[in-house]
Amino acid sequence: MLVLSTVLLSPDPAMANGSSVLVLFSNGRLLPANVEVERGLRHSLSAEHRGSLFEEFLDAPRFRGADFERAAVDYLRVKYRARRPAIIVAAGPESLAFILAHRSVLFPGVPVVHVGVSSTQLGPLPADVIGVPIEYDFSGTIDQALRWHPATRQVVIVTGASPSDRMLEDRLRAEAVRFQPRARFEFLAGVPDAELVRRLGALKSDSIVFSPGYFMNGDGTEMSPRESAMRLATLSAVPVYAPYDTFIGTGVVGGRMPAFFDAGMIAGRIIERLMAGEDAGSIHLPAAQATALHVDWRQVERWGIQTSDAGPDLIAHYKPPEFLEQYAREAAVALALFLLQSALTAGLVIERRRRRRAESSILRQRAELAHATRLQIGAQLAASIAHEINQPLGAILNNADAGIMILDARGSVPTAALREIIGDIRRADLRASEVIRRLRALLAQREVEQRPFCLEDMLHDVQAIMRSEAELRNIALEFMVPEGRTILIGDRIQMQQVVINLLLNALDACADVPAGRQRVSVSMKADADSVTIGVRDLGQGIPVEHRSRLFESFFTTRPDGMGMGLSISRTLVDAHGGRIWAEHPEEGTLLSVRLPISPPQCMAQA
Amino acid sequence: MNGAPLIHVVDDDDGQRNALVRLLGAAGYDARGHASVGDFLLYELPDRPCCLVLDLRMPGKSGLDLQAVLNERERPLPVVFLSGNADVTSSVRAMKAGAIDFLTKPVDSAVLLKAIETALAREATQRQAEDEALRVGALLASLSTRERAVLDLIVAGSLNKQIAGSLGIAERTVKLHRANLMSKLNVKSPAQLGQLAEQLRERSGLTRFLP
Repeated sequence: MLVLSTVLLSPDPAMANGSSVLVLFSNGRLLPANVEVERGLRHSLSAEHRGSLFEEFLDAPRFRGADFERAAVDYLRVKYRARRPAIIVAAGPESLAFILAHRSVLFPGVPVVHVGVSSTQLGPLPADVIGVPIEYDFSGTIDQALRWHPATRQVVIVTGASPSDRMLEDRLRAEAVRFQPRARFEFLAGVPDAELVRRLGALKSDSIVFSPGYFMNGDGTEMSPRESAMRLATLSAVPVYAPYDTFIGTGVVGGRMPAFFDAGMIAGRIIERLMAGEDAGSIHLPAAQATALHVDWRQVERWGIQTSDAGPDLIAHYKPPEFLEQYAREAAVALALFLLQSALTAGLVIERRRRRRAESSILRQRAELAHATRLQIGAQLAASIAHEINQPLGAILNNADAGIMILDARGSVPTAALREIIGDIRRADLRASEVIRRLRALLAQREVEQRPFCLEDMLHDVQAIMRSEAELRNIALEFMVPEGRTILIGDRIQMQQVVINLLLNALDACADVPAGRQRVSVSMKADADSVTIGVRDLGQGIPVEHRSRLFESFFTTRPDGMGMGLSISRTLVDAHGGRIWAEHPEEGTLLSVRLPISPPQCMAQA
Repeated sequence: MNGAPLIHVVDDDDGQRNALVRLLGAAGYDARGHASVGDFLLYELPDRPCCLVLDLRMPGKSGLDLQAVLNERERPLPVVFLSGNADVTSSVRAMKAGAIDFLTKPVDSAVLLKAIETALAREATQRQAEDEALRVGALLASLSTRERAVLDLIVAGSLNKQIAGSLGIAERTVKLHRANLMSKLNVKSPAQLGQLAEQLRERSGLTRFLP
């Protein structure tokens, strides 16, 4: 009997050395924090380990109790008997507690990586249970909020009614003491929704709200903390601050917080090291995950918050590119140049370094680099953009002045003349906003798209953007685009960026050649399954010794060049399943891009 | 040479050109638009005071090219430049070549009208001076060689006796020439002759080129 039970309880020794990873989440599958952690985890795991990643959910705080726990142990033991995991990931404090209590029965000797557990929740751990604690900085968030709203007299804390919620409430009550007498703290802990409606809606401007969200409100209704944050932000008459990055976008301003995505990535990296054979005890880990000040920029603007005091770790979500909002006069252009260039520097130096350290995501880096080089294109085109915008602005101003003069001069209002003037003003305005639209599309920081677009339309946009630049340099620019609608699938802006890049190079190549050769042409030729775009100049050509290095990063012959243009172009074209190459005819250079018309099924997400 | 001034607007941008012509019209000027340097050069200028409002950047010949062509002419037209961006190099070139002003678009109407006023005033002064020079030149051309020599010495400040000595003629003959040239130059008194002489001294640069 004793022998039998030992056999039943211990795993099959034949399966002792598994290679899969089992992630046990404290909460439900759709909790936004879980989704983010999982995303980070998958991001940093190698393809091999990503493929054998299994996930289980304890669904706290909704399911609990000794019976449930026993059933869960049985379930996991039976389910994973044949696929014994090599590493367990404990995602959340409830999960870690569960694993520590039952590991010897479930998966003896299997190392554990914990994620999303704060150091206060960690007791002494066995040597093979490791992880980087996550710190939710409630006080740091409240402190920052008080600095941004110096007139605040009252901080309203909203928490929920579930046991997990009560634990957070206890912690907040303890931390609130430290802010006295700076501000009065009012707790709305586990109150019914109707009362929240009444209380939050009536708050005066000397108050702010802080909430870690809740799993259950005072009426007993269950929800995800993110949903609760959305509810609070909707109800509140004053700014709402929160300590989790998953709340960004619900209407809260933000707070000082660790990113759950980063937490997942950190865990993923630890897993890779364990898989590579490193001993859990010898892996050196930081005492806590870094936090940053995350804000929803729309909320910052809504509440008129001055973020200038925030340090370099301010991460603004949903922030539009600034200079486009103030293009009214040439001042905007100076500003644009300044912003473009500082954005470029920041984009390339600070942002990239910070992100690179935080997440070794090649794809994201590629998108960012593409964006940064687009900003550089914007900076290069600044003079012609200024011209393009100032032309209609000048027409608007002169027309308006003419209208005023006509009105001042005559007794009876000459309706027809004024109608004509206003019509012209309208046309000029539309023209200026068209320039802005094209520029915004090119320069905005945005998600990479994978959708059908019309190549001819895209080339017409490129023509509109580059016409003025070629004119400025006295170079004839010719577009030989046939009639038709060739549909490609991919990121229109990135492909536009590639063509503009090739054009800028071609224009540069025309700098020192006789006037007759100052011509650049763009051609397009489609066949059954691909389309080829050619950019041809009659410039001085590329010296033979440089040809092999044309597409290398940081290779440039221009004193002010970055050497990223062709390198990023090739990366982007590759990601679209295409090919880019250079030909060297007798005069000048021909660069061609071939793109598939019906792209392969698993196209890389650039 | 008369009539109201005519302002030429040379700008390839239809919207901007129409707006400028309309603005100048509202300000009481006759204005005419030209879509390119070539269009302007093909246009035969009427004999009226005029000035140019010239876009710096145009496809084909630029505003600076046109200015250079106009400066070759006997009577350069005053030019006010407009530019889409504040390009320092071009503005220095334009001003050195005699532009009245170099304004950046979008240009404030008051600033533009002021520049045009300055341009027209400068042109008027120039025309007046040229007309006067032409008048004096025509008068001088009616003098005989001997009379011209006597006049030159009078202008130089010589007395009759000195003139007689320099030219090797009798003082009486000098007086005769003097009376003749005063009548030809339409001056009634020695004082007026002195005044004309003074004028000629000031315009000595001009007299050198006259017969």
